[in-house]
Amino acid sequence: MDNILKTYMGGKKIDNLPSNNVPSPKNKSSILSKNEGIKLSISSLNAWFGTKHALKNIDIDFKENCITALIGPSGCGKTTLLRCINRMHEMTPGASVKGQIILDDLDIYNKGSDPVVVKRRMGMVFQKPNPFPTMSIYDNVASGLKLNGVKDKSLIKDIVQESLQGAGLWDEVKNDLNKPGISISGGQQQRLCIARALAMQPEILLMDEPTSALDPIASSKIEELISDLKEHLTVIIVTHNMQQAARVSDHTAFMYLGELVEYGPTAQIFKNPQKDLTERYISGKFG
Amino acid sequence: MIDLGLNKLSSIIGDMSNIATDSVIKAIDAYKEDSQKATKEIFESSAKLRFLQDEVSELTIELIARFQPVATDLRYIKSCMEISYGFSRLGRYAYDIIDAVDIFGPLKLCNKSSVILMSETVLDMMNTGVSALRLLDNSLTNKIYEKENVVDILYRKSLRDFAKIVNLNNEYPDNRCNISSTLILKYLERISDHACYIADCVNYIKTGQSSPRR
Repeated sequence: MDNILKTYMGGKKIDNLPSNNVPSPKNKSSILSKNEGIKLSISSLNAWFGTKHALKNIDIDFKENCITALIGPSGCGKTTLLRCINRMHEMTPGASVKGQIILDDLDIYNKGSDPVVVKRRMGMVFQKPNPFPTMSIYDNVASGLKLNGVKDKSLIKDIVQESLQGAGLWDEVKNDLNKPGISISGGQQQRLCIARALAMQPEILLMDEPTSALDPIASSKIEELISDLKEHLTVIIVTHNMQQAARVSDHTAFMYLGELVEYGPTAQIFKNPQKDLTERYISGKFG
Repeated sequence: MIDLGLNKLSSIIGDMSNIATDSVIKAIDAYKEDSQKATKEIFESSAKLRFLQDEVSELTIELIARFQPVATDLRYIKSCMEISYGFSRLGRYAYDIIDAVDIFGPLKLCNKSSVILMSETVLDMMNTGVSALRLLDNSLTNKIYEKENVVDILYRKSLRDFAKIVNLNNEYPDNRCNISSTLILKYLERISDHACYIADCVNYIKTGQSSPRR
């Protein structure tokens, strides 16, 4: 897997995708984002659904090439935070966002920032595998490239293979690339969705409960894959499975009622949380 | 559901603390009174403590495997493994003390003052450790650590005193008093260490901070 990933990351680069040339803002967060190791810096982030205050003054730095788990009871704002990070939240009617999210040196909510470019730099994997039902396995992975104007068939072919290898799926589907994406198992479909995200060569992979619909074996494969991917990507994963958070993540953030309660190294959060609320949640006392 | 397992664990640890402290007290009394009437009971208690230690070990593994405990629960379970070993060792030292009384006795004519003095401090440490554990009160642990220093000083001073006596009476063939006292002082010194380990565990459960290795 490791060699495959190196091949993938060192393989074909896509040159003709849109880029964002918005200058970096000269403010506190941009300085923070330049700190070594910080990929994504969020400060004073607030989000609303109409009048419902869904995220309250979130400040958090996501470290590069690390896996960060977002945990917390349903409705605490984990998914909303993911959707703010890739600018999906604003697409919900009545939803609004305030605050700052800095990706490297790009303020993604800056007026000149292009949401399409932001989304391209961040892959997203959802709770249920959602391959495009009418497309083949090959076309599922190639679709993002084609939509972004990549026409070189040889390049697309190479990237599809590298992405499927990166998602640990190539050996299982290399002879069935023309079969429908929905003809494979649930676990394979989820890895197909990961391959689809990898094809766009994202810098951050956002995963919203990516294994909650999968059996233990398929979940285990996804977890191994996530661990492998962090060598090249920054991963943020929402999970309700405490053991999964403990197993796969380097850092864990506990959210409750729209607030970030505690954030720290995963070992510390699970062995010695500093906040009583965190302790009670991870121990299953509420939630 | 994990609470059922934790309660059972706590109950076994409680039983072990009672058996271990009772054994040590009886062993010291046996030395003081030069009596062997508690020997069988102390031997049986030592075996029982070993059995209970194994039971704690099995239960902790089961709790970890089935419930994947975290935070205070996880620290408590880890500490119970160490504490059960500690109580098992206390039972063994009680066994060793009464064994020394049996092998070297009768010791009626021996000067037992240094052992009796040290045993009072050690019993106090042991009881304080058990109280700290029962109440999960880490404010008591400093008292134990302070007394450990006293025990170490008493132990070294007593050994030096015995060495002088042996040197002065090097023609005297019967050193049973000195040997038995030395052995029992060593066992008491180890019991004091285990009282400190129990205190370390209470601190770890409460704060998550590990104590420096002694």
